[in-house]
Amino acid sequence: MSSIALVGNPNTGKTSLFNTLTSSYEYVGNWAGVTVEKKIGSLKNGAGKLIDLPGIYSLHPLSRDEGVAAQYLIEETPEALINIVDASQLERNLLLTLQLLEYGKPTILGLNMTDVAKARGIQVNPDILKERLGVPVLPLIARTGKGTSQVLSVLEQPSHIPPITFQLNYGDIAEEAITSIVAQLQKTSGLPNLRWVALQLLEQNPVILELLKKRMDISSLLLIADAAQTRLQQEKLALTLPQWIRSVRMDYIRMVCADAIDSTLQKPHNLTERLDSILTHRFLGLPLFIVFMYAMFKTTFDWIGGPLSDLLDGFIGGPLSDWTNSLLGAIGASEFTHALIVDGLIGGVGGVLVFVPQIFILFLMISFLEDSGYMARVCLLMDSTMERMGLNGKAFIPFIIGFGCNVPAIMAARSIEQPKDRMLTTLLMPLMSCSARLPVYLLFAAVFFPAQQATAVLSMYVLGVVFALILCKFFSKYLFKNETSIFIIELPPYRMPQFKTLSRSTWEKGKGFLRKAGTIILAGSVLIWLMSYAGPGGLNVDMDHSFLAKFGGFIAPLLQPLGFGTWQAGSTLVPGFLAKEVVVSTMNIIYHAPDAAGLEGQIASVFTPLSSISFMAFILLYIPCLATVGVIKKETASWKWTFFSMGYSLALAYSVSLVIYQGGRLLGWS
Amino acid sequence: MALTSCSLLRLQPGFTGSIQRIEGMNPILRRRLADLGVSEGVMIRLKGKGPFMGPITLECNGQLFAIRRKEAAMIEVKVS
Repeated sequence: MSSIALVGNPNTGKTSLFNTLTSSYEYVGNWAGVTVEKKIGSLKNGAGKLIDLPGIYSLHPLSRDEGVAAQYLIEETPEALINIVDASQLERNLLLTLQLLEYGKPTILGLNMTDVAKARGIQVNPDILKERLGVPVLPLIARTGKGTSQVLSVLEQPSHIPPITFQLNYGDIAEEAITSIVAQLQKTSGLPNLRWVALQLLEQNPVILELLKKRMDISSLLLIADAAQTRLQQEKLALTLPQWIRSVRMDYIRMVCADAIDSTLQKPHNLTERLDSILTHRFLGLPLFIVFMYAMFKTTFDWIGGPLSDLLDGFIGGPLSDWTNSLLGAIGASEFTHALIVDGLIGGVGGVLVFVPQIFILFLMISFLEDSGYMARVCLLMDSTMERMGLNGKAFIPFIIGFGCNVPAIMAARSIEQPKDRMLTTLLMPLMSCSARLPVYLLFAAVFFPAQQATAVLSMYVLGVVFALILCKFFSKYLFKNETSIFIIELPPYRMPQFKTLSRSTWEKGKGFLRKAGTIILAGSVLIWLMSYAGPGGLNVDMDHSFLAKFGGFIAPLLQPLGFGTWQAGSTLVPGFLAKEVVVSTMNIIYHAPDAAGLEGQIASVFTPLSSISFMAFILLYIPCLATVGVIKKETASWKWTFFSMGYSLALAYSVSLVIYQGGRLLGWS
Repeated sequence: MALTSCSLLRLQPGFTGSIQRIEGMNPILRRRLADLGVSEGVMIRLKGKGPFMGPITLECNGQLFAIRRKEAAMIEVKVS
């Protein structure tokens, strides 16, 4: 099986091409220490595997995405490359192309978006490109699939792709340095194309430097580079070697473009211009965005997602439970198995699965916003506000998603390039009140603040946002004090997303949630159910004598100063850590309440208005749910930061509840 | 009309200048701009300024992108 890598600048249509070239589809996550994925699919003609690397501008990595691509080319050896370039942006795209040609693997140049280029009055001559670069050039319209059959037929026999003949002359000084570096590298085995390695070294590509350091002593190589740089400076050719290499490449590219491109009839992007004049308008832009967000939330939670969730809930609680009950009865399952499956599995996992429709709808709309090009504009609109908090405009979208569910929100933070901004977004995400906490607020607000229900619930959301703002300032000042925040965002032309791409990216995002429901939440539900079912006295004990009650009673004294020091309240916090969705249903079990009215009555007698505020604040702020902790671990790839996020939120929850309860008592409230 | 140099920020929306100098900029951002083809001698157009002192939108080589104002202030352009 051969592997072929798909490489190119961001927004050039790699994913569209990937989708049309591959049939089956899998993704591989979790490269050691890196969380950005490459995607692997099988080519439709069975000729091998296609690897979709993250979009990059050059092989010199600035963001994690670029690190992945550079690392891939060094550590793995694809048999061939498909370099996809945007015909309407050829000059910029070819910079990466030259680096890839120097890499020396057989390459096909996919000249994409020829329709867009044509519509804008830009004519690219593929024959001249082919002649100058020495590689097959295939004109494409990846979005419609035009030209992809030619790509497939070329890939049929990857070994038939002609070898690279392209070589750029970097002038006497640089060429001498390259020759002597290549001579030294010959002693080390297992390196890709030596001239390419030498050039990347001269460009000070950190990934290459790291790799070489592991294999050999590079000090003599660095001396050669320094000497060459000094000579360049003496002859006043360039200030640095990387600059020189870049300028040689740019000169060559300009020459190629001058011959291959006819842009005499070039026109501006009309649709994008018109849309941008409204959507990024200084005064209209933000209000319009708020309208879109409102519509998005309404669709997710009210108009479509909510009813679908209710249907699913009805199915799981009704027919599914009934069937399972009768099936278990028919096969004569023991009482324990019966209770485990119905109360533990269906009750626990089912309670989380009902959120699946909402999550998928939210993801579908977010994918639409991303693919259409609007998301980049939102980041632009929000950047000034976010910058004042010590963050970056690109962090805004994840926070919005966080009101739906923290898990996908943290995954959405991947689009942020800078590790600092990404880490801050991830750490603060749990402070956004996800939809699972809403039932708790609703319950307590209905019991204690019937006249101001909406205000009570809303103030909990605001409380979370306020703490996120304060901690953002604080963390960025003290935890990441030496890291500056930069902001640069490319604004792609607006375009209509394709259904196939949308459905694939929605599925890819939502799959993680399903997998979690199948593993962590499944295991946790069984555990909690067991703890309530079993006690020191044996199985099927009275709830008051279960292990859950014992544990709740154990932590109850700690909660005394917060105003809810009962084993019942303490016990709800444990399943609440598992999934905040189950706090209310756990209360139902613990307080032996048959329905909502009964539970409200119980709550009214156990809590006071003051302790209810304290409890709600605690539920809002304390340790994020297990799924969120899991995704924090996955995205930060660090136990240290995972425990930090759990620790700070617990400490914050405790102190805020303490201040609310004790402060309230001092003021004479009850 | 005489040629005048000024900071990119001083351009009126819709106007174009050629880049004279880029100085004092964060090296990462500088490289990213270079990747986008933004360097000395290139024509750049100011498309719009965001709300609340937010980033400005620029067009260079047919590519739209946005950077913050304080960084745009480090790009000196010549307008004719």
